[in-house]
Amino acid sequence: MSETTSISVASAWRLAATHALPVSIAIVVAVFAVAEPAFLTPDNLLGIVRQIALVGIMAAASTFVIMTGGVDLSVGPVLALAGLVAYFVLGAGYPVPVAVLAGLGIGLFIGLLNGAAIGFLDLPPIIVTLASLSIVRGAALIVGGPDLHSIRDQPIYSAIGTGSLAGIPLPVWIFAAVVLLLVFVQVRTPFGLLVAALGENERAARLSGHRTRITKMLVYGLSATGAALAGIVLSSQVHTASATYGPFGTELDVIAAIVVGGTSIMGGNGSVVRTVVGVLFLGVVSNGMNLLNVPIDVQLIAKGAIIVVALGLSARR
Amino acid sequence: MAGRYSILPLVGFFILVFAFFSFTATRFASATNIENLLSGFSFVAMLAVGQAFPILLRGIDLSVGAIVAVVGMIVFDLSLIFGVPGWLILPVALLAGAAAGALNGVLVVYVRLQPFIATLATLAAYRGLVYSISGRQLVPELSTTPLRDPWIIGLETYFDVGRFLGISSIVKLPWIPLSFVALLALVAVLQLVLSATRFGRDLFAVGGNLEGARLAGINVARVTVAAYAISGACAALAALFLVARLTTATEALGIGAELTAIAAAVVGGVSLQGGVGTVVGPAIGAFLLGVILLGLTLLGVSQFVQQIMTGVILLAAISYDRLLALRVRRAGPSL
Repeated sequence: MSETTSISVASAWRLAATHALPVSIAIVVAVFAVAEPAFLTPDNLLGIVRQIALVGIMAAASTFVIMTGGVDLSVGPVLALAGLVAYFVLGAGYPVPVAVLAGLGIGLFIGLLNGAAIGFLDLPPIIVTLASLSIVRGAALIVGGPDLHSIRDQPIYSAIGTGSLAGIPLPVWIFAAVVLLLVFVQVRTPFGLLVAALGENERAARLSGHRTRITKMLVYGLSATGAALAGIVLSSQVHTASATYGPFGTELDVIAAIVVGGTSIMGGNGSVVRTVVGVLFLGVVSNGMNLLNVPIDVQLIAKGAIIVVALGLSARR
Repeated sequence: MAGRYSILPLVGFFILVFAFFSFTATRFASATNIENLLSGFSFVAMLAVGQAFPILLRGIDLSVGAIVAVVGMIVFDLSLIFGVPGWLILPVALLAGAAAGALNGVLVVYVRLQPFIATLATLAAYRGLVYSISGRQLVPELSTTPLRDPWIIGLETYFDVGRFLGISSIVKLPWIPLSFVALLALVAVLQLVLSATRFGRDLFAVGGNLEGARLAGINVARVTVAAYAISGACAALAALFLVARLTTATEALGIGAELTAIAAAVVGGVSLQGGVGTVVGPAIGAFLLGVILLGLTLLGVSQFVQQIMTGVILLAAISYDRLLALRVRRAGPSL
């Protein structure tokens, strides 16, 4: 075996690994399109994007957290609490923008607290956000009880989740706007660079005089604000707010989308665009399996297998 | 190595909390309540004890709740559908749990996945597997049939210690559930493994410094797989007692249990930095959580506030762990 062959094999592996996800999406789409013609209809494709908008918003906003080598497990309850806060503010007679801002504000507040504990007290992210998962869920249940609160006679608020612009549902526009904003932040601002630097080598970033602690705090603030936005969109979509929304497992879906996209859970390597590809991939797979009537057990096993294969590939890189 | 973390403060805190509720909550120090505590939280303690092993390696096992469900369903199927005798089911169930755990270890070592991701993936996959093998769906008429096998149901036994000692007329002692006795045995064996065997020393070495351990000739792959297998086997043991208590298994068994287990392990002083911890600690940590939750319930505190309290306890425990680490660093490397 000559040396050139082994190098070309290695580079082929690397090539396959870097483009594995777009290639897999193409393959999966092709398979589903052949197996079920209804898959490729515009209605279904739009349906896919609409279904993934909520997880997409959360995953895009949480990408920076993973890039810094952290994790945010508290997104589910934050989603629930933000919807409830918006519901109560609307009920008190305030206009819609105030309600939306209040919901986003509570998310930002919780996220900043998470970030402060992680950035300034140096506590491990997984435990801090696990604790806040429990605390925020308890708080949401105290605020809203276990019942559903229906949001009636609020046409403007309901439009957030159910309206559409140019034939495309508003949640999809919101998802797109969030992604564009975050991509801009990541590529064009010092903050974006610092996030990558933090994940790559936190000590070096700190010794270079960067404000790593504040950056960490903001990153978690951003993640929770994304979850709050998803909560507002959800409560508007289903016309109800409840403390039980965003059940256990929501955070795992969000993290799965980010890491399947190729952002390294070790930090440093990653991007918002990759997350979008990851969200799309999982969305396409789950929609296709639903169309083909694949039972839920096989879907869950497939999801686990996909995560293993995607990350096993990227570990070889 | 275990010297950095003494379990004495934890035991002291446990006694303090216990005394607090004994004075403030009527019926807290009653025999019935202690029975509830012992039987309800031995299950959590088993999971926490198992969880200590991956965490000692700077890993984590998110799949324990799903393993509980898989093993529970295996017991259900073997006993009700296939009529396998109970004495055979028990070892098969433990082996199945160990195998499920070992797969986590294989994913971590050979596929080079982060433990968090590997066990996240198997969490999803095992949950799916539970539905695939669910006897409740394969044979719907069995779903209301309780398990009757004496070997399995027999696990839900209580010992009247007071009567045995002949003092039941003087003081009413709580009956001790078999699950608590099993937990004590489990803790004793695993603590011995951890502090007196070569495997235990290797475990601390790998968790403290992976590269150093590898260079010292320790078989890191084998140690890692074994640690995850132990976690899986502990989950299986917990599943057996849970199934015996419920006399059935459901698909939803053990949902969210991994979070409580991790919380108990961290409260019990197993450091997420790896290489520091005991087996006794997580077990005490689980009962500390139990005492606080049951005490608050008896005080009439809403279940929602309890959820908040769980989070606060977790934060307090991890802050304390952090404080200890800082103190050691300031005291210099000689410690």
